[in-house]
Amino acid sequence: MPVQCSSCALSRAVLKRPKTGHSLCKACFFWAFEEEVHHTVVSGRLFSRGETVGIGASGGKDSTVLAHVMKVLNERHDYGLKLLLLSVDEGITGYRDDSLETVRRNQQQYDLPLKIVSYQELYGWTMDAIVKQVGLKNNCTFCGVFRRQALDRGAVMLNVDKICTGHNADDVAETVLMNVLRGDIARLRRCTAISTASDGEGAIPRCKPLKYAYEKEIVLYAYFKKLDYFSTECIYSPNAYRGHARAFLKDLEAVRPSAIMDVIHSGENLSVKEGVKMPVQGTCTRCGYISSQALCKSCVLLEGLNRGLPKLGIGKHHRLHGKILAQQPLTQEEEKKLKAVDF
Amino acid sequence: MCQVDEEYSGHLERRSVPGVSKTCVKCKESTAVLIIRLGDAFCRSCFKEYFVHKFRAMLGKNRVIFPGEKVLLAVSGGPASSSMLAQVQEGLSRDAPKKLRFVPGIIYIDEGGACGQSAEEREKAVALLENILRKTGFPYYIVPLEQVFGLPDSVLESVSCSPEGSGLSYKAAVVQYIQQNEVKQRHSESAGEEAQDAMARLSVHSQYGPEHRQALERLFSSLKTLTAKEDMLQTLRQHLILHTARVSGYSKVMMGDSCTRLSIKLLSNISLGRGAALAADTGFSDPRYGDVVIVRPMRDYSSKEIAFYNRLFGVQSVFIPGLDTKVPDKASIQRLTESFIIKLQADFPSTVSTIYRTSEKLHTACPPLNSSAEPAVKCLLCLCALDTKADEASAFQAILLSERLSVGKAQSDPPSSTTAGSPGQSCCQESGCGAGGCCSTSRASADLKSLLCYSCRLTMKDMTAVDSLPQYITLEAEKRQRRAQMKQEISEFLLEDADDDQE
Amino acid sequence: MAAPLAVHLEFGGGAELLFDGVKDHHVTLPGQSDPWDMKQLLAWIRGNLLKERPELFVQGDTVRPGILVLINDADWELMGELEYQLQDKDNIVFISTLHGG
Repeated sequence: MPVQCSSCALSRAVLKRPKTGHSLCKACFFWAFEEEVHHTVVSGRLFSRGETVGIGASGGKDSTVLAHVMKVLNERHDYGLKLLLLSVDEGITGYRDDSLETVRRNQQQYDLPLKIVSYQELYGWTMDAIVKQVGLKNNCTFCGVFRRQALDRGAVMLNVDKICTGHNADDVAETVLMNVLRGDIARLRRCTAISTASDGEGAIPRCKPLKYAYEKEIVLYAYFKKLDYFSTECIYSPNAYRGHARAFLKDLEAVRPSAIMDVIHSGENLSVKEGVKMPVQGTCTRCGYISSQALCKSCVLLEGLNRGLPKLGIGKHHRLHGKILAQQPLTQEEEKKLKAVDF
Repeated sequence: MCQVDEEYSGHLERRSVPGVSKTCVKCKESTAVLIIRLGDAFCRSCFKEYFVHKFRAMLGKNRVIFPGEKVLLAVSGGPASSSMLAQVQEGLSRDAPKKLRFVPGIIYIDEGGACGQSAEEREKAVALLENILRKTGFPYYIVPLEQVFGLPDSVLESVSCSPEGSGLSYKAAVVQYIQQNEVKQRHSESAGEEAQDAMARLSVHSQYGPEHRQALERLFSSLKTLTAKEDMLQTLRQHLILHTARVSGYSKVMMGDSCTRLSIKLLSNISLGRGAALAADTGFSDPRYGDVVIVRPMRDYSSKEIAFYNRLFGVQSVFIPGLDTKVPDKASIQRLTESFIIKLQADFPSTVSTIYRTSEKLHTACPPLNSSAEPAVKCLLCLCALDTKADEASAFQAILLSERLSVGKAQSDPPSSTTAGSPGQSCCQESGCGAGGCCSTSRASADLKSLLCYSCRLTMKDMTAVDSLPQYITLEAEKRQRRAQMKQEISEFLLEDADDDQE
Repeated sequence: MAAPLAVHLEFGGGAELLFDGVKDHHVTLPGQSDPWDMKQLLAWIRGNLLKERPELFVQGDTVRPGILVLINDADWELMGELEYQLQDKDNIVFISTLHGG
C-alpha cells in the first residue's frame, strides 16, 4: 500500500524525510523545503532589503537548487534582493567547461545576471596547468584556496554585498567531523556559523542558506523539479582524508537519519576553553586579502607555483614568508625541501 | 560541488611501513617488546616505569583527589579499568613520598540483565570478577543493574557544583592529612583493616527480584535501536554508581576510560548530538553531579599500552560480553564510530591522539560556584545542562520547524503563543496520534521530552513505551513538571498584579 | 619442504568468542614448500579455526584493526607483521581492544 503524505493526507508520499522521518507528497515537500530555507534566511538574518546577493554557482545540484529557491523566495516573501550568479572557472577541461555550460543555461532559465571569473585571468594558472606541476596529491589545496578568493574578487567586480553558497547540512556536518579529526579547534568553532561576519576589507560576507537542508532532499528537490544541473565528479580526485569523514557521515546517516542534524547541533553547542590560542585575523601584506599570516595562503601558493616550488604552500613554512616578502633567494636546502613532489 | 573548500595541510601523516628496530628508545640497551605512540620502541622494564609514572603524573598534575578522600573505582572487568585498579594498588603499596593517599573502594555494575545474559552466565562472570576484587582487600560493591528500579528519585536532584571542603586548598589538605595520619597510627593499625573487611562482606550480597529482572527486560526491549540501548545503559549505570558513591560517602569516582576509548566517545557523542556536554563527557574531571566528581585517570593511555601492560605484568581482567558483542559495525552509532576510528588509526597513527587533544581544549560548562543565580536547568537523564534553549537560527529550531511543516497545516499552527518545543504543543506530532486528541503515552513522552537535553530526546524517541522507565525517573519528572507549572502560575499571577498596578 | 610447525595460539579480550570461547589453541600447521608466515597463518585460522563472523577477526589479508598481535610476547610491529616467518613452538597472541570484544 502506498504511504500517504503526512501533511495533506491526500496525495501519495514521494519521500521519507531523513530529518524527521515523515513522509511527504511532492507538493508538500516543495513547500516544506522552501519554507525551511526561508526560515533559515529569516532567523539567521542573512540579508537586508536592497542588497545585491551573489549566488556562488558551479552548475552542480546544490548551487542550482540554491539559485532556484533563492529566486522563488525572493519573489514569494518579497526579500527585495538583487540576485546574480557568480561562477569560477578553475580551468579543468572535461569538467568545469561542461558545468559552466549548465550555469549559462541556468542564467537563461532563471533570468539572472551571470559573472564568470577564471583562475587563468586572476592567477595566470589554470588547474590543468597546476596539476601538471604539483601532481594529484595536493591539487585540491590549491583549488580550494584559489576558489575562495576568486569568488570574493568576482563579487567585488560586481559590487555584490553578500555571497551565498550551496553548502548543505551534509557539508556542514562533514566539516565538523573533519575538524574534530584534525584537532582544529579554531575551525571547529567557526565552521557551524551560518554566515561569516564582514570584518571590514578583504572579504565579502558569506552565508549558507541551505545549511539545514539534507543532501538527499536537495537531490530529490532538483529531481522532482526537473532542475537542470551537472552531476559529474571533479576529475582530479578528492582529498582522501576528507573522503573518510564523508563516508563515516553517510554511515551515520544510515544508522540514524537525523545524525547529520545531530552533528550540526553538537557543533553549534561546543564551548571552547578560555585561553586556547585562536589565530588573529589580519590582512595579507601583498594582496590585502584577509589572512592570519603576513602572506595569505593564496599568495604563498602562487609564489610556490611561480618559483617552481609547489610545496611552499603545503604544510607549515611560515618561517619563509619573510624571505618571500623581501624577495630574498631561498637557500639550496630550503629549495630542495620544497621541490620534491611525490606523484 | 567540490567539497574541498578550505585548505587541508598535509600534517596527517600516513603510517610508515613497519620497521624491525629492536632496541628500546629509552635505555638504548634492552630489546624492545612493543611500539607505542608514533613508532617508539620500548623494552619491558622501561615500559613499566613509563606506565606507572604516567598514572601518578596524571593524578599529580590535576590535583583533584585529596589525601584521605574516599574514591570509588568503577571496574567493569575490562582491560582498562582492571589496569586502573592495578595502578591504584601499586600506588598504595609504595613508600611514603610516592604513596597514593586516598581510600579506595570498588564498584562493579552487573549489566547482564540488559544484555540478555542468563542467570548462570552472570553468576559465573561475577564469581570471576569477585575473585580479582577480593584479592585487593578494598571494600567492593557488586550492583546488578536491576537495582535502578529501587533507586530513590533524589538521585536526579540537582546538587550544587561546589562540594564541601573545596574551599580547602590542595596543599592545606595534604598537610592536614599527614598530621591526622600520624595520630591515627599511634592509636591502632588494625582497626581500619577490620572495618574494611566488615564492609566488604556487607556489600557482596546484592540481590535483585524477578519483578525487577522483568522490568529491566521490558525497558530494554522497548528501545528500538542499539544506539538508544547503549545510551540508556550508560545513563542507568551512571545513576547507580552515583547513588552508591553518595550512600557510602565517596566523593570521587574513577573511571577507566583510555585515550582510545575517550576519542571514540568524543566522536560518537558528537554524532549523538551531545556536543554541549562533550567537555564533561570526555574531560579529566566531570563535575556534573556536584557532590560526586567523576575523574578519568587512564585518559593518557592508549588501549594498546593497556593491553600490553596487562599482558606483560599479569594484570587479570575478565571479558564480560556486553550489548555490542559480536554485532556488525553498523549496528549502532557508538559501534560504527569505534570501528571508524580504529580503522583510521591503523592508517593514520595520530588519529586518536589528535582527537584526544581536541577534548582537552573544550570547556566544561559548570554553574559558577556560590553564585546567587539559579543553577542551570539540567537534563533529567544525563544531568548535563540543557542545550535546548537555542535561538531561532539553530539546528534544533530547524528540526522543530521541519516537524511542524511535515504534519498537517491544521496541526502545525500552534494554538496561541506557545513557544516552540514546549510540552503539549509537540505532542500531536508524535506519530500514531489521531485527530481527536492525544493518547496518554504520547502525552507522557512529550512531557518528558521537555525535561531532556537534545541527545537524550533522541534516545527517548527510539523508545516505544515510556512507562517502562524506572520509577525514580518518572517521579522526578512529575516533580519537576509540577514545579515548573507552579512557577508559571506564580509568574502569571505576578504579571496580572503588575497589570493591575498599572491601571 | 618445510616440516610441520607446532604453534600455540591465544585469543583474548573477547576475540575468543569467535572461536567458541576457547582461548588456547595448540595447533600443528602442516608442512609446506614455503615457510609459514603470519599472512598464511591468518588465512589458515580463517579457514580452520574461526567459528563465526570472520569479518570480526580478519579484514583483507590482515587482522581487523583494534586487534593486537603479540609474537612471543613482543609487539608484532617489531617482528615484521605479516611477513614474520613462523618458527616451531612460537606463541602468537591476539588481543581484542574493541569494546564488545
